[in-house]
Amino acid sequence: MDEMTLSVSTAAVRADGLSRRYGATRALEEVDLTLERGITGLLGPNGAGKTTLLSILATVNEPDAGRVSVFGLDPRDAAERVEIRRRLGYLPQELGYHRHFTVAGFLDYVAILKEITSRRRRAEEVARVLAAIGLERRARTRVRALSGGMRQRLGIAQALLGQPELLILDEPTAGLDPEQRLRFRELLSDLPGDPVIVLSTHQADDIAAICPHVVVLLQGQVHFAGTPAELAASAAGRVWAAGERDARAHLSWRGGDNRWRHIGDHPPAGAELVTPTVEDGYLLLSHAAGVQ
Amino acid sequence: MTSSLPGAVEPVGGADGHPPDDLLASYAAGTAGTVLAWSVEAHLTECERCRSTLSAHVDAERLARNRSVLMVRAAIGEGGRARRVLCRCGLPDHVLRLLAATPSLRRSWLLSVVGVLAVVAGEAAAVRYGRIPAGGAGRIAGYRDPEVLAPFLLVAPLLVLAGVASAFLPMFDPSWPLAVAAPFSGFTLLLVRAVSALTAALVPVAATAFIMPGPGWLPVALLLPSLALSAFALAAATILDPRAAAVMAGIVWAVPVLLLAAARVPLLIVQPNAQFTCAAVLCACAVVLLARHDRFELGWMR
Repeated sequence: MDEMTLSVSTAAVRADGLSRRYGATRALEEVDLTLERGITGLLGPNGAGKTTLLSILATVNEPDAGRVSVFGLDPRDAAERVEIRRRLGYLPQELGYHRHFTVAGFLDYVAILKEITSRRRRAEEVARVLAAIGLERRARTRVRALSGGMRQRLGIAQALLGQPELLILDEPTAGLDPEQRLRFRELLSDLPGDPVIVLSTHQADDIAAICPHVVVLLQGQVHFAGTPAELAASAAGRVWAAGERDARAHLSWRGGDNRWRHIGDHPPAGAELVTPTVEDGYLLLSHAAGVQ
Repeated sequence: MTSSLPGAVEPVGGADGHPPDDLLASYAAGTAGTVLAWSVEAHLTECERCRSTLSAHVDAERLARNRSVLMVRAAIGEGGRARRVLCRCGLPDHVLRLLAATPSLRRSWLLSVVGVLAVVAGEAAAVRYGRIPAGGAGRIAGYRDPEVLAPFLLVAPLLVLAGVASAFLPMFDPSWPLAVAAPFSGFTLLLVRAVSALTAALVPVAATAFIMPGPGWLPVALLLPSLALSAFALAAATILDPRAAAVMAGIVWAVPVLLLAAARVPLLIVQPNAQFTCAAVLCACAVVLLARHDRFELGWMR
C-alpha cells in the first residue's frame, strides 16, 4: 500500500475540490481538506468561508462542486447522510433558541432530534452534558434568562449530546469569558473516544492551546494546513521587536511591554528578531493573500 | 435503588439478625435482585446501624449522577394536560415534545387566530343584522352578500395556511440548523408539525364557521380548501424559497376570493366546482411532496 492510499483510507473526513457560491459571492473555491481524529482549528477572517465549509461538513449545506466523505460515507446519498448525522455534533455560528424553553427542555428537544427516544436515556444525556459545561444548576432556567456566554455554553452542550464522533463547532469560544474558554479547552481535550473535532475561531491562542492541526482559510481557499508550530515557524525570521514604529513593516503594533512588534521582510533599525507565534504566522499569511 | 413490588419478602438477617456486608454492598450497587433488595429495604427502615453501614458502600459519583438525572427530569416536566391526554391516546411522548418548538401551537398564536376570527365574525354579524349598512340604505343583508361572508372566506383558510407555514418556515424556528443536521427525518418533523398546526387552526376556524351567518355546510366546505392550500404551500416549498411558497399559496387563495366577492358571488369559492379543484390540487401536491420529500432533509440553504 503506497503512502497516498494509506492517507485516503485513514482520513476521517475528506473534502475534495469543494466550491460554493452565493450569487456573485465566492464563498469556497476548490477546497481540499483532510481531517484526522483529534482537534483541528480552522482559522480565518470574517468572510473567509469558514462557516460555509463547516455547514457543508455538517450536511446542512451542499457544495456547488466537489465532494465530501465523512467516515467513508457520502452525504449525497440519503441513507449515508442520515448515518453521518447520527455521528455528528454541530454548533452553528449563530444558533438561535426557542426562548420559552428551559435549558433542560431545549437539550431534551435536541436529544429527540438526535433520535434518543427513551426518556431515561435522554435525561441521562442531558444531565451529562449539563455537568460537562457547568450548567447543571441552570436546568430549570428559561433560555431567555441566560446571559450570552451561558447560551454559548448551552450551544456547546447540545453539540455534545449523544457523544458524537464528529464535532463541528463554529466559533465556539465567541462570547465566553477567559475562565470559560479555559474550561472549554479542558472539556474538548477530555472528550472520550477520540472524536474528530473541527472548530473555527478568530482566536489564534485557542488554536495554539488545544489544536494539534490547523487550517488557515483565506478568501475561500486553504492557504495553510499543518501544525500550529509549523504555522508559527512560517513567520520565522520575519518578526521583530523594536522601540520605534517602522513604516516598511507589513503589520506593526505596540505590545504590552511598550515595544513595537513588526512583521515584515526588513528589520527596523535596532530591532531584535523574536520567536514568532501562531498569530504571527497567520497574520503574515493573511497579508500575503491580500486580506485586509 | 427502589425495586418493583416483589411476590414475597424474604428475611435477610445473618446470624446477628442484620444483612451481611456483601449483601449491603450488592444492594448499594443495584445488583441484589428484586426480592433481596426489597427485604434489605424493609430492614433498613428499622435499622440505623445498617443504614450507616450501607452509606459506606454507596458510590457517591453514581448517587450524584442519579440526582442530576432526577433534577433534569423534574426540569423537563411531564408537559401540560393536553400532552398527557395525547400520550394516553398512544402518541409517543418524544413526538409530542417536538411540537413544543412549533410556534403555531403556542397559546399566543392560537389566541391571535381566535382574535382575528372574532373580529371577522363580529363584522359579519354587524352587517347581517344591520349595524353596518350593506348594499342599499336600510336594507338588511343576507348571508349571500359579499360584505357578510367574503372577509371570513378570505381569512379562514389563510389563517390555517399561516399556522402550517409557521411550522415549516425557518424564520419561525431559530434552531432550525440543528433540526437539519440531526438524524431525525426532516420530512417526518415537517409532517408532524404541519398536521398538528393544521388541526389546531382548523378547530377555531370550523367553530367560527358554525356561528357565522351562512349555510349550514360552511364548516365542512372550508376543510378541503384549507388542506389544499396548506399542501400547495408545502409542495411549492420543495421547489421555491419557502417564504415565497407560502406567499404564493396565499395569493392563489386571495385573488379568486376577492374576484368572486367583487362579482357578488363569494360562496362560489367553496361550492362543488371549487371543491373538486381543491381535491385535485390536494392530490397533485401530495404526489409532489412524496416525490420531492428529500428536499426537506437538506435544509434551506439552496
